[in-house]
Amino acid sequence: MEREQLLDLYRDMWLIRAFEQGLEAEFEQGNVPGMLHTGLGQEATQAALANNLKASDAFFPDHRCHGLNALAQQRHKGDGERIMAELFAKSTGVCGGKGGSLHSADPSVGNFGDNAVEGSYLVTVLGVALAAKMRGESRVACAVLGDGTVGRGEFHESLNMAAIWDLPVFYACVNNGYAIATPVGEGHASADIVDLARGYGFPCEQVDGNDIVASHDAVAKAIGHIRAGKGPYFLEFKTWRWQGIFAGEFRPEAEVKYWREDHDPILMTDELLIDRGVDADELAAIEQQQHALIAEWIAFAKESPPPDLVKATADVYAQWEVGGR
Amino acid sequence: MNDTQLDANPAPSDARPKKPRKTSFTKALNDALDLGMDRFDEMFLIGEDIAEMGGDFGVTRKLWAKYGAERVRDTPLSEAAIIGTCVGAAMVGMRPVAEIMFADFLGECYDQIVNNAAKVRYMFDGQFSAPLVIRTACGGGFGGGPHHSQSVEGWFLNVPGIVIVAPSNPADAKGLLLASIESDDPVLFLEHKALYRARSDVPDGYYTTPLGKAAVARTGTDLTVVATMRMVPMALTAAEELEAEGVSVEVIDLRTIRPYDAETLLESVAKTGRAVVANEAPKIGGLGAELSARIHEECFSELSAPVGRVDGLDAPIPFSVPLEHEVLPDETDIATAIRATMEASR
Repeated sequence: MEREQLLDLYRDMWLIRAFEQGLEAEFEQGNVPGMLHTGLGQEATQAALANNLKASDAFFPDHRCHGLNALAQQRHKGDGERIMAELFAKSTGVCGGKGGSLHSADPSVGNFGDNAVEGSYLVTVLGVALAAKMRGESRVACAVLGDGTVGRGEFHESLNMAAIWDLPVFYACVNNGYAIATPVGEGHASADIVDLARGYGFPCEQVDGNDIVASHDAVAKAIGHIRAGKGPYFLEFKTWRWQGIFAGEFRPEAEVKYWREDHDPILMTDELLIDRGVDADELAAIEQQQHALIAEWIAFAKESPPPDLVKATADVYAQWEVGGR
Repeated sequence: MNDTQLDANPAPSDARPKKPRKTSFTKALNDALDLGMDRFDEMFLIGEDIAEMGGDFGVTRKLWAKYGAERVRDTPLSEAAIIGTCVGAAMVGMRPVAEIMFADFLGECYDQIVNNAAKVRYMFDGQFSAPLVIRTACGGGFGGGPHHSQSVEGWFLNVPGIVIVAPSNPADAKGLLLASIESDDPVLFLEHKALYRARSDVPDGYYTTPLGKAAVARTGTDLTVVATMRMVPMALTAAEELEAEGVSVEVIDLRTIRPYDAETLLESVAKTGRAVVANEAPKIGGLGAELSARIHEECFSELSAPVGRVDGLDAPIPFSVPLEHEVLPDETDIATAIRATMEASR
């Protein structure tokens, strides 16, 4: 991979990390309503996806995809701050504060929104893909799914239907090791989700989701396959989330140390860039720039007004008004 | 568009009209799908054995041959994926029409209907619509047993964002289905199995019957019966019976269950001062409960008797035909409820 391309991906990973760290700090101070699921530790996976999906594609993010959502918004429209504002439930958010962390969408950048019944969109994505196929569009329809959602029947309904209809669906499976606190190997017949996908007969690959170069190349290959009209593709990213559960850290100390220190996607990329002659100061500057950008986004979100109360009953139906209180 | 109104009443034997050309409920639906497919390039049909076979009840017959397998699409037994496909396609501007073979199977795709179809417009702040139709065969009366006979409107009545359409006769079925296809809101289109063979005059060509508008199926002055689907012809039969006893009964066919036409309903009850709500589903928590509560809430001072209720018993639908008849309400139950309400009047 070219040095400049790697630097771009590095910037994106730092944008995600700064976003989530800034959000987490605000959440702890009680400034962010609702629940918080961060993508910390999964930055390479999301940066790899964001750098390969076009605004004309369609992706269904999962609940840890604030970073992917923000990157899509920033790359295609230059308004990543509207993802932050959505998480603060503000009128300037991408859904005017009505969707929040679990339902941030903007189809003009290809973001079709999460469904907080995680994995439910595994069948919704079929319709977007089918429409693209019927219309002869080159759109890739991507579902970002966690390992936990593989337990849902929709996973199998979806893979089967995508296979028999040869649909342009990209299954980007983020296996971070746990469904809340249940280890992937205890919740599924295989700890390698790719094993569960293989029976449907389309290409199924696995990649180190913390290796940005490998992840980027694997995504590019998957999307190339789909754009060439060759049907669905399943890619499993092996990664790990930093966030524990509400009660705190529940995983073995050695495991935590491995993923946070020895196999952190940003630290791994630091090494690659330094090997390619990038100055450590330049890397530190990128980190600072992204933190500064996120601080602006947070300020924007905090200063933005809440939604007007008339929005409480807006857009229930297209053809009827629903009365207010 | 013309709001077709019809003699849904299976006319009493002594007044049977002389042989105009009649169309069955099934054929009326088939015509509507054909006209919709012809008019809307973005429309497609999807479901289990709806293509070459024409569907379990023949509603999609011959459409596969005319429009091809791409637009008349068979699926595996994957109801969640059928409706998920519809939602996704609708989000990008297609107009899918799904067939869920039996309404009892809607549990398999409940999440897609309730959490996706009904909410994508709202939760994404109007950036998406879900212009899809879910056609499904509901209701009892043919020995289908516990999983092929249920009335499911109550399962969806509490879900903002969904439209529930429930025709009682062939002409409305055609016009309401075309209106549902045109609708930018997701429609659950209920087809009562006992009505598939009902016949009546159906206008030729393309027309729509407005959603959210009830029809006055019979005018009267003493009492209003509110009904949907199969309960409408039953209410009309009961009304004829009561006419002979000197009671003038008005029958309101709700046609759209959600959002329902409160205006027509309340106007009628304000006029007659008495109401009976007829509903095939179990009594608790369903359409009958909602309508009864609404009438009491808004017409209390005009009522001369409490609202009468006709419902299914609070039990699943059994397989045995005598048991099924015991569970489901019929004309006699409606007539009895009308008499009781008349007698209870102040």
